[in-house]
Amino acid sequence: MNHMALLALAANAETQDLVTLVPWTFIIQIINLFIQVYLIKKFLFKPINDILQKRKDLADKEIREAREAQDEATSLKTQYEESLTNAHAEAAKIVSDAQKEAETKAETIVRDAEQQANALKAKANADIEQEKKKAINEAKDEIGSLAMEIAGKVVEKEISEADHKKLIEDFITKVG
Amino acid sequence: MSQSFEVDYAKIYATIKTGIPILGDLKITETLIVSWIVMIIITGLCIFLTRDLRVENISKRQAFAEMLVETGNNFVRNNTGGNKFDKLIPFVSALFATSVVSNLISLVGLRSPTADLSTEAAWAIVVFIMITSTKIKTNGFGGYLKGFTTPIAVMTPFNILSELATPVSMACRHFGNILSGVVIDGLIYWALGLASAALFGLIPGAVGKFLSNIPILGIGLPAITGVYFDWFSGCMQAFIFCMLTVMYIANAAEE
Repeated sequence: MNHMALLALAANAETQDLVTLVPWTFIIQIINLFIQVYLIKKFLFKPINDILQKRKDLADKEIREAREAQDEATSLKTQYEESLTNAHAEAAKIVSDAQKEAETKAETIVRDAEQQANALKAKANADIEQEKKKAINEAKDEIGSLAMEIAGKVVEKEISEADHKKLIEDFITKVG
Repeated sequence: MSQSFEVDYAKIYATIKTGIPILGDLKITETLIVSWIVMIIITGLCIFLTRDLRVENISKRQAFAEMLVETGNNFVRNNTGGNKFDKLIPFVSALFATSVVSNLISLVGLRSPTADLSTEAAWAIVVFIMITSTKIKTNGFGGYLKGFTTPIAVMTPFNILSELATPVSMACRHFGNILSGVVIDGLIYWALGLASAALFGLIPGAVGKFLSNIPILGIGLPAITGVYFDWFSGCMQAFIFCMLTVMYIANAAEE
């Protein structure tokens, strides 16, 4: 039996028990675990997280820029719309102003024309009246002298100048 | 082909005499050597994956690395509900990576470091200290001690027991699963070796003697059983260990 055990020992390297807690192995495995944590952190997590962060920053930046561009476009659009509205309003105002002015002008012209026409008419009437008076007066004179001639011829009597005149005026008055 | 079944024990390659009491001699075991190989693999993979990083137009390698990091971030954030435990992310990720690679390294014929209880005990103790420190940070030392007397003072011994059971159960669950995988794989190889020896031993003469020494039947089947015992169990235990770590610490932070 002893012989067999010796043989087995010689054939195989020394082994530890199947279920056992070896203090040194235990301690070294704890250290190994922490070394592994450090290594995996340094060689996997740090570089990858860095690159992920970089990509995230880049994406964030692009989104931010896009948003800014959109904001700008929106504000420009508002501005344009506003100025367009203003232009419309201004155009309408100009048109209405022009219309109003034209109306006023037209009214003024018409009124002036009416006034002028009225003035002309009044003047013409006055002229006509004057002419009429003048004509009547002339006719009166004509008729006076004519009547005197006729009367002188008919009556053939000497009449004083004063009587003469009186006679004529009476006649005219009667005639006129 | 040996007729008796032997489990794959962790070999001790060197013993350094320290003379320190309790701790004893420093033994460089297979567990430690393979652990260091695992660390080199993980770190090398990290360095390889994060080479030539770009912000735009990324390579598949970088996409994979980013996916790993995002998965780690989301795993911790979803299970703790917020960014409060972001410091835990590298720890949990390292734990998961180490556990998975350690479990799966048995596929290339090395002995899993996780088939040694010392490894899981080390991890569980670290997690236990983190849970306890989170509890003390949240409730204060008095509050932490008072927590043991809830809901009634009589429960104190049971509460202490359940507190201590946390790291023990975490370590033993992981260890047991991986060790059982090792044992079952060993059993399957052993049984298939015996079977092929018996089968090809039927061939008479030198040919039969030669072939019966080669475990030919062991070629296909272990790959199929390995899907469960190595791949599934290996990933599952790593996931469970990390899940429990995050959950316990998140719970500890609740008032």
